[in-house]
Amino acid sequence: MKKLILIVLSVFILSTLDVIGQCNSESLSTSCIPKLSTGFNFLKSYKIEKGGKDYVEYSYVFTKGTQYMINICAATQPTDGIIVSLYDSNRNKVATSKVNGQYISAIAYPCNTTGIYYIQYTFDGSTTYCGGSALGFKR
Amino acid sequence: MRIVIIGLILALFTACGSEKKSDEQAFLEGVDSAKTEGPSISEGVIGDILGRIPSPLEISVLLKESGKKYNGGYLNSPESVSNYNSNYKKALNLGVYGTDLGYTNIYEQNQDGVKYMTSIKTLADGLSIGQFFDIETIGRLATNSKNLDSLLLITTQNFNSINHYLQSRNQSNLSVLFLTGGWVEALNILCEVAAANPTNKEMQETIGEQKIILENILLLLSFYKESDQNMASLLTDMEELKKLYDKVNITYTYSESTFEIVDGVMVIKDNSSSTIQITAEDIANIKALTSSIRNKIIS
Repeated sequence: MKKLILIVLSVFILSTLDVIGQCNSESLSTSCIPKLSTGFNFLKSYKIEKGGKDYVEYSYVFTKGTQYMINICAATQPTDGIIVSLYDSNRNKVATSKVNGQYISAIAYPCNTTGIYYIQYTFDGSTTYCGGSALGFKR
Repeated sequence: MRIVIIGLILALFTACGSEKKSDEQAFLEGVDSAKTEGPSISEGVIGDILGRIPSPLEISVLLKESGKKYNGGYLNSPESVSNYNSNYKKALNLGVYGTDLGYTNIYEQNQDGVKYMTSIKTLADGLSIGQFFDIETIGRLATNSKNLDSLLLITTQNFNSINHYLQSRNQSNLSVLFLTGGWVEALNILCEVAAANPTNKEMQETIGEQKIILENILLLLSFYKESDQNMASLLTDMEELKKLYDKVNITYTYSESTFEIVDGVMVIKDNSSSTIQITAEDIANIKALTSSIRNKIIS
């Protein structure tokens, strides 16, 4: 009987620990929304979790004459080694948030060319491989 | 002792299995008739394409920022909601009303906004996704123009949640319809405003740029052409629109971007450029056909 109680309790405690240890990218992406600079309207929140690939990628059609902002939120440090890079429809790199060894937590992109853009998140010395991001716009 | 064990086991199973059960049940019961045989491509790919379709709010902001006045006559009447009885029509017009709500919000026309919110809630309830709209909170925010940012945020979040929910339940066909309806409504408003301002080059270019979004919508609809007659018919209409857009030329010139750091934000200077070649005749034709497609949607 004691063994059974022990097993049930162990399963319960382990499942709780598992939840704690999980990447809560949903919450991190939500926490990124109010961090968009003043004047930017929220468009999308993105979950950043390392899966099978070395990167996480989303796409969005940016419009000429509109300024976009993409930011990064992580649990441990401001960006926890998460880098956001922006590529145009021909896969030319437009921007990356790592510059001179420094990780920038937000990029603003005044778009001159309407088209599909690829928002790619990569990990550089990340400890959690987990984060969130928000995309906003203003005219 | 037995009671303690049974209690622990029950607590464990309840904790594991209670996630939004009632919502899920309601959804499955409600949209059963909306199920199709399934798209010809994975839901993940469809989700990626859906995610890149821009918010119609961007067009409303463009109109407001360029000094154009609010005109409720451009919008679908919120009273028409009772005409939409099939899930196909409900999903399409949920998108239409979503665009109309964004337009009223941007222009701070709160009384009109509440009417659209009520119609949206009716359609969403009809599709068993009404749980995503907290109409009381939205109604309260709409009473004060100081709450505009919160109002825009909460409505955008609501619509994003619906799309995630539908995609996670392999019901992306409804998301496709919802986004298509929203886009057609936004294009129709844009064409109406452009017609009233025939010398406004920015609006003409924005109409031309919609070619890129149309191509993605056509791709999405094409995934369902074999399994859903309504979507196949909508695709045929949109392909006619594409024929008009084939006359619009967009050219790109790439040049490496530069940047500077301002207050901790990396501000990019985009040195690339694009030109859009679109004639007054192209715009008139696009306007007429968009209006015709939109009338089919909202009738």
